[in-house]
Amino acid sequence: MAGYLLRRVLRALSTLLGTTLIVFLLVRVVPADPAVSIAGPKADPETLAAIRKDLGLDQPVIVQYARYLTALAHGDLGKSYVTGRRVVDVIAQRLPATALLGVTSLAFGFLLGLGTGMFTAARRGGSWDLGVLLVTLVGLSLPTFWIGNVLLYVFAHRFHLLPLGGYGTARHLILPALTLGLAEFYFYARFVHTNMGEALSADYVRTARAKGVSPVRIYVRHALRNALIPIVTLLGLDIAGLMSGVVLTETVFNWPGLGRLAVQAVFSLDIPLVAGTVLFSATLVLASNLIVDLLYGVIDPRVQRG
Amino acid sequence: MTRRSRWLSACGGLLVGLLVAVAALAPWLTPYDPAAIVVEHYHGPERPSAGHPLGTDTLGRDVWARVAYGSRTSLFVGVLAMGLSLVIGVSVGLVSGYFGGAVDATLMWVVDLVLTMPTLLLLIVLSAVLPPSLFTVPLVIGLVGWTTFARTVRGEVLSLRERDYVVAARALGASHGRIIRRHLLPGVLPGVVVLAALGMSGAIAIDAGLSYIGLGVPHPTPSWGRMVSDFQTYLGVAPWLVMVPGLAIALGVVGFNLLGYGLTDLLGTRRS
Repeated sequence: MAGYLLRRVLRALSTLLGTTLIVFLLVRVVPADPAVSIAGPKADPETLAAIRKDLGLDQPVIVQYARYLTALAHGDLGKSYVTGRRVVDVIAQRLPATALLGVTSLAFGFLLGLGTGMFTAARRGGSWDLGVLLVTLVGLSLPTFWIGNVLLYVFAHRFHLLPLGGYGTARHLILPALTLGLAEFYFYARFVHTNMGEALSADYVRTARAKGVSPVRIYVRHALRNALIPIVTLLGLDIAGLMSGVVLTETVFNWPGLGRLAVQAVFSLDIPLVAGTVLFSATLVLASNLIVDLLYGVIDPRVQRG
Repeated sequence: MTRRSRWLSACGGLLVGLLVAVAALAPWLTPYDPAAIVVEHYHGPERPSAGHPLGTDTLGRDVWARVAYGSRTSLFVGVLAMGLSLVIGVSVGLVSGYFGGAVDATLMWVVDLVLTMPTLLLLIVLSAVLPPSLFTVPLVIGLVGWTTFARTVRGEVLSLRERDYVVAARALGASHGRIIRRHLLPGVLPGVVVLAALGMSGAIAIDAGLSYIGLGVPHPTPSWGRMVSDFQTYLGVAPWLVMVPGLAIALGVVGFNLLGYGLTDLLGTRRS
């Protein structure tokens, strides 16, 4: 167990290091001069040179990367070029909105998907399989931002039931969470349907049935437990996908979260802010994958040997 | 199983065919230039009518012309991005699966790395950082989207390389390059066809998302995602300006997805 834990943690750390390198390189290839971003286009050469020296931009790239890593290790993501605020503070300020949206839609989509998948898996075979496949395939193909617009049109423009966008009350949360949650719903409904279907067709289920175990017990104790193991992995991987959905949904509904922050930062070429949000999201994904890996080792002892 | 798969891939093929036909025949399907202002006296966006089957937009341009020409943009971005992902992904998968060991470990580490990056954020940064051009978007989508190809191809190569004909080729002294090109590549191609169809749908969807955010192909090239974002402000008064391009994106993505899933089943049953 200890060896497995160590391997997983080391792998996550090496990926994190790789991520910092990618983010650093991305930031370095930006054509805009950071000094100009800070001081403005009319600044005199001496000021620009002073700012470059201050930021360490006159140093060799490898030194800059080392300094970047040292700062990161101290939890310092730099300061915004535009507002001068610490990136860590800005992210901390925006995080609750994104967390609220992400958790609500994930919970909604996951639970509804789980229920639907279990329901349809019990009726698997023939037209139910095709139905689930078609509905989830079409559902997952609809662009998130467009679903958001359709919901906006129906609930905000046509019937004036909910606000057009913004943040603050539960009424503001409904449409964004529904938009993002729908995609999650299709995703999990299909997955649970397929996995439950396979588990229900397995030999141990047939044996249990032959022994006269009650159908409900078979369903919950035998099939569901085995079908749910891979879902843990899926939940971990899904965090990356959820981040993409968050960016689009926040843009549609003007939701003041991390996604909106990243998009605004990109448009204003606020490089430290961009790098900070990307690195933060990547770390989030890595951490959730690591937790899943570790959980998996606990749930399914076979994994540890792999 | 096969009947269902045929039906699915036929539906997908039909939608994809429709998309390709509209893209190819756009100049004959509409008399208007997508960028031209076609309304003589502007009184705001016009509802769909005989002269303008999908109405006109807030600048007085013909919506159908913009949607029809927009299909060219989507297909262009999709094909280029998918092609790039395919080349990178298949190469990485072949090399990784064939050589194994440290090569495999390194390449799969890179795959993990790319998979960990939040795709859309990475794409947003890349497309903002690189100078805007018609090729920027397909380039960045292709550069980020190759991991699925690599993983799947690697998996297939792992089983293929133990086959007798590959072992025989190696025993006869064939070079690594020859074994990969002549013996392994043909074996992974059927799976790659499926991935290509699914890759197209993914690329079209991501391109739409990037365009919606405002980082798609530059103006004045018509783009479906940009149409949705441009007219979201007018959702209350001219909903068709948002609904029509959104539906177009959905049909394109559904088409390629259906084709991909149908083909998966077809190829799967043939193999067993």
